[in-house]
Amino acid sequence: MKNSIVWILWLLGVMLFILSSRNPIYLCIILAGLFILGHHLSKKKKSTNWVLPNLRFLFTMIFLSTMINGLFSHVGDKILFTIPNSWPLIGGNITLEGLVFGAINGLVIGALYILFNVINLALSIKQLTRLIPRAFHPIAMLVTVSLTFFPSIQNRARDIKEAQMIRGNPMKKISDWLPILIPLLVTSLENAFLLAESMTARGFHRHVDFRTPRNLIGLIFGAFAVFSGWILQLYHYPPYISIPLYLIGAGIFFLILISIGKQTKITRYRHEKWQRADIVFIAILILYFVSFGVLKWSNRLISLNYSPYPQLTHPIIQSAGLFLSLLPLLPLFFNRDD
Amino acid sequence: MRKKRILALGTDLFVLILGLLALGSPFIFPQVYDLESQTASYPIMVSLIILLCLLIIIFEAQSSLLDSKMIAFLAVLTALNSGLRFLENAIPGPGGFSPIFLLIILSGYFFGSRIGFLIGAMTLLISAIITGGIGPWLPGQMITAGWVGQSAVLVTFLVNKFGWRNKPVEIVFLSAFGAFWGILFGIIMNLWFWPFLGPGFGETFTRAISAIENLQRYFAYYLTTSLVWDIIRAVGNVLIISIMAKPVLKVFQRFKQRFSFTIQGDALL
Repeated sequence: MKNSIVWILWLLGVMLFILSSRNPIYLCIILAGLFILGHHLSKKKKSTNWVLPNLRFLFTMIFLSTMINGLFSHVGDKILFTIPNSWPLIGGNITLEGLVFGAINGLVIGALYILFNVINLALSIKQLTRLIPRAFHPIAMLVTVSLTFFPSIQNRARDIKEAQMIRGNPMKKISDWLPILIPLLVTSLENAFLLAESMTARGFHRHVDFRTPRNLIGLIFGAFAVFSGWILQLYHYPPYISIPLYLIGAGIFFLILISIGKQTKITRYRHEKWQRADIVFIAILILYFVSFGVLKWSNRLISLNYSPYPQLTHPIIQSAGLFLSLLPLLPLFFNRDD
Repeated sequence: MRKKRILALGTDLFVLILGLLALGSPFIFPQVYDLESQTASYPIMVSLIILLCLLIIIFEAQSSLLDSKMIAFLAVLTALNSGLRFLENAIPGPGGFSPIFLLIILSGYFFGSRIGFLIGAMTLLISAIITGGIGPWLPGQMITAGWVGQSAVLVTFLVNKFGWRNKPVEIVFLSAFGAFWGILFGIIMNLWFWPFLGPGFGETFTRAISAIENLQRYFAYYLTTSLVWDIIRAVGNVLIISIMAKPVLKVFQRFKQRFSFTIQGDALL
């Protein structure tokens, strides 16, 4: 499984589950799946140090979230101890429910962070750059040039630093870095000048202004529609009002960007290939999205909505929820032949 | 030309208002605290709206600015600034200190708001691509860094108005601006997840209180968790700008003249 579109769909699927779930058991299963997949991908990339820093981040997040919610939120029946009310902000009952709620928040944030870390492992820099829509081709060009220049700038910085240290610059204060920054800036801008000239010589200077009032106003209207949908949803307006607004906003954005993209001619030297495994994976993901949607909207996946308030209870487990929380492991079955 | 300027200004204003409304939603729309309707979707929705704002402003900026000269110029400056982000470990400075704000502020100050915005936003994007730091937090980081560069034009306005160019007060003003953003950057970044993680999210205890009281709660949370970190960033900005701004501005001045060539005729595409 190599196609970036497939990975992005997988990311959306896992993110949907994480954001819909407050059940700590499902979240732990998701996290375990992400760690297994991350470990597998990092081994393939010969990066040995992936699991430990992420585990450290996860536990720090859970700890911080538990402490913050426990200290600031004093709701709940099971009082562990009481901080005098005279203590500003944190004065009040420290409850078990508050700590558990904070820990679940930490699990959700940690899972989101690790999910994106896995995606960063799975996709190469080239694939990430290719995901920039065609309508933003000058930005894609900027990103590509920037990424190409980055290693040479790093090398030059290292060379200048070595030269400065040989001359006795101790590199301890901020002012000691001035003799590095200025030569680096000057040589980089010289490079930019040469690059601009050679790009112009090769016909890159053509500048097309797509900023027609219609396009810009359309994009602004699209963003406003999505925002309005969200605000109406916050105020408990029925979904038949907020969901069409989301769809209209997203649709306008999509159509404008597609139509601008079509006006731009680009050359792709290497197309991303669609393998049979990618098609099968997408079919499974569609099935996943449909079943998740049906179960969620028909309120048959109640185990997702766990809350320790008002009274701490054991989270319910449903077989459908367990099955759906295994999605992070799915790419492992398709990654064998890569 | 005038029509396009009005359109650009209108776009900036819309993006600023919508971005601030999304980030400031806990104070403006208290329903955000409703546990059942929000759960974890709040940070993602804020990120989505910020992303849309970012796309609009980048679309506007790329259409008005980016020819081959500007692509080369911005790309190299962005690569250099992303490189500076990796020097965070090398340059002595604890906490939130980051040398990236130097070039963001100075390019916005010297070359104008659009270039300042693009340098800020693109620096964060490039370093996220290189370090594998892409995530829902990225749009918020990009737009805030973009705002840092964009708002530097206010310093340009003041410096030009009072004739402070090339005087020590110019550097003082830029340093103060760096300090201001050192704190504000942290305040805005925290807003992304505060309602989710912070004190307001325990069931219903903050739903009934006013926006001002919520703001007080947020600042109390900010003071206890982030202020020290952000003060270090602000002090770092002051130091780095006061030491390096003058020579960097001289280099910018030299290259501005060299980059001011125009290309006549159309490309053979």
